[in-house]
Amino acid sequence: MTKRNDTGPDGERLGAPPPACASRRSLLKLGAATGMASLGAVAPIAARAAETDDTKTAHQSQPFFGVHQSGIVTPEPAAATMVAFDVLAQNRPDMERLLRTLTERISFLMVGGPVPARDPLLPAADSGLLGPVVVPDNLTVTVALGASMFDGRFGLAHLKPKHLVRMSQFPNDALDDRICHGDMLIQFCANREETVIHALRDIIKNTPDLLTVRWKIDGFLPADTVRELGKETVRNLLGFKDGTANLAASDDELMNRHVWVQPGADEPAWTAGGSYQVVRIIRNLVEHWDRTPLNEQQQIFGRYKMNGAPLGEKHEHDVPDYADDPKGLRIPLTAHIRRANPRTPETQSSLILRRPYNFSKGASSNGQLDMGLIFVCFQSNLAAGFLTVQDRLNGEALEEYIKPIGGGYFFVLPGVPKLDRFLGDTLLSA
Amino acid sequence: MSTCRALHRTLMALTAGGGLLGLLPAPALAAEAAPVNVTVTDKGCAPNSLTVAAGKSTFAIKNASQRALEWEILDGVMVVEERENILPGFTQKLSATLSAGRYQMTCGLLNNPKGQLIVQATAASAPPGPVSAVDLAGPLAEYKLYVLREVEALVIGTQAFVAAIKANDLAKAQALYAPTRVHYERIEPVAELFSDLDKAIDSRADDYEKRENDPGFVGFHKIEKFLFIDKSTAAAQDTADRLMHDVNELHSRIENLTIPAGKMVGGAADLIEEVAATKITGEEDRYSHTDLWDFQANIDGAQKIYTLLRPLEAKRNPDFVKRVDDNFQDVDVILAKYKSGDGFQTYDKVTESDRRAMKGPITTLAEDLSTLRGQLGLE
Ligand code: HEM
Repeated sequence: MTKRNDTGPDGERLGAPPPACASRRSLLKLGAATGMASLGAVAPIAARAAETDDTKTAHQSQPFFGVHQSGIVTPEPAAATMVAFDVLAQNRPDMERLLRTLTERISFLMVGGPVPARDPLLPAADSGLLGPVVVPDNLTVTVALGASMFDGRFGLAHLKPKHLVRMSQFPNDALDDRICHGDMLIQFCANREETVIHALRDIIKNTPDLLTVRWKIDGFLPADTVRELGKETVRNLLGFKDGTANLAASDDELMNRHVWVQPGADEPAWTAGGSYQVVRIIRNLVEHWDRTPLNEQQQIFGRYKMNGAPLGEKHEHDVPDYADDPKGLRIPLTAHIRRANPRTPETQSSLILRRPYNFSKGASSNGQLDMGLIFVCFQSNLAAGFLTVQDRLNGEALEEYIKPIGGGYFFVLPGVPKLDRFLGDTLLSA
Repeated sequence: MSTCRALHRTLMALTAGGGLLGLLPAPALAAEAAPVNVTVTDKGCAPNSLTVAAGKSTFAIKNASQRALEWEILDGVMVVEERENILPGFTQKLSATLSAGRYQMTCGLLNNPKGQLIVQATAASAPPGPVSAVDLAGPLAEYKLYVLREVEALVIGTQAFVAAIKANDLAKAQALYAPTRVHYERIEPVAELFSDLDKAIDSRADDYEKRENDPGFVGFHKIEKFLFIDKSTAAAQDTADRLMHDVNELHSRIENLTIPAGKMVGGAADLIEEVAATKITGEEDRYSHTDLWDFQANIDGAQKIYTLLRPLEAKRNPDFVKRVDDNFQDVDVILAKYKSGDGFQTYDKVTESDRRAMKGPITTLAEDLSTLRGQLGLE
């Protein structure tokens, strides 16, 4: 607490020169020590350039208020964490307090601003991870509810979204209960992982009696990407471009058809503007994959590995013509893209918006890498969307190289249209 | 010294729910007022009387005397703040958060007259009123007694426990394991001041590279493994001797210990952190599954500290006190369901829904009690 501001007889400051000066000097010293005379001069400039870039992206933000929550059709920044919580609230008033607190915290975090100062004898108001002023950094925090929220606890059973169920085992799954399901899923996305962690810790600190973490998984995309869904394609950990044939998230009409529950849909009225979210933690058996011939890999997906074009086509965005290939001579009938989307008029209703991230978590006890895909998708109808697609994928050739181990099904609450509203208010007042 | 100094900090009242909501109004910390100048000559302080507003003040002390100077702010005989070793010709600054009242300042040589420092109440500082050393003296003394009683009980309990092992009475040794440990668990934050002993008495296999087989792994949990997994008292002989020795050593060190106020007050939160980290999961007593004994002991230890400080808090922060009371009660009620005779059922009996139901109150207690030191103005 006590500050030691030593001053000399004339009130002149003693000791270290101002910090900017010091760092410059130590850089010069480093340059000399390593025998790289130019380092001292160059490094500060490089550092400054990086800083400007950072500052620019740090101030990018996504809207909090709107008919829909952000984090679905908004661009996919490089870092994401999915956290499933058990809700500790035991009654409606506590449930409302939870939803109001989330609204209040998220609407602050997505915009940013100064962290309130507190007496330093007390724990600080936040983790300090982003410094005294919180930057938005493209943060989105998206809140969704699991089927278990509609059990007896809150008297919401009759308001459960029609298709919301607890995730159950598919033939190729090896689900681990410790990373499955949850009362609530919060998806955090931002340019930097620190921003994601800061937001998560803020929410945990502000909901001690309301939420407890059930499981958590961190995802990433190439660091320099802010992926415009349906525009740019990055590779997943199997080395294939992932997202090529995704729905264009910028197309409102398409999103209304396939992603957002529409007013007047065969659903409880409060769900309008929300969406079903699927999270599947899918391990990729990468060592085995890396020992698989390229041709076989390409047959498994139905696309060329390097440019992402459908087999037999030239360009990434060329459209595969399955009608012309009924026997699967070019693109096998078991290929991932052919099963996932047979591209017939009848299968239009199963289109989904994918928003996956990669994960990498160390190694398993047999010395193999524990990494894969956090498959995330959104749809206005879980049964017609993911469940239908996954049923078609069951038995696909890719199964030999992937193992779904966790995740769950959730319903993303409608957005908060304006200031005096809160997340889930239409559910609680229904 | 740090204790006395800390005792006089102003109590920072939290706004209602302040521990739970990040959005507190920013207290006036940022702007530091211009320093108050004092010059110390060979004769005394100039000026010899100062008046400042309650809250934070910064003093610029110029040593115009011939010898190195120690400048102190005194409340009676208590040193509130001090700046040591100001060399002749130098000026040093000292920041102090003072509550309204009359203080004295030392002015160089011992026989120089002391200066007067008058701290005037301001609108902002008036309502909470400071917690003084006198306020804390009672709780501290009582806590020291509590700690002594517990460590004595630990010694006596360990004697019986070790005797049972020596007599190869497995059933008795098993039965004494949990009731002996509770005396340690209640005062863990104080015991932890002696990290060598804490490690020797209470570390778990996870703390060692080779886990159960690590030669460094000794203490209660090692014996627990011998008694409950290997079902052997013979194997536990040496470890039992060592435990007795370490417990005796702990006793003598605690007898001679002045418990710092900050350690006592912070201990309440530390104990709850213990519960949150290792008790809720049932990983503390993994061989015997007697976790609930430890769980209750941690809660008891935290509650003891809180109860001693509660009167100080009740006047100042009734919302806080109500919330903490309620949460302690919630936890106690759930734990009570698992009482059996003098002790507890094994941890695997605790239902998933009760484990979950305890998380909320425990985490809230952890958040709330983490502000206790600050509220009482302690470092
Ligand atoms: C680790 C698991 C998976 C990997 C590595 C993977 C990879 C890929 C790749 C490389 C593509 C082609 C590029 C593209 O159009 O985006 C693709 C397409 C697709 N995947 Fe997956 N995927 C996985 C799991 C899933 C799951 C679980 C589903 C849904 C149940 C799914 C649904 C789709 C769909 C709908 C397409 C687009 C097909 C089209 O419209 O042509 N994928 N996936």
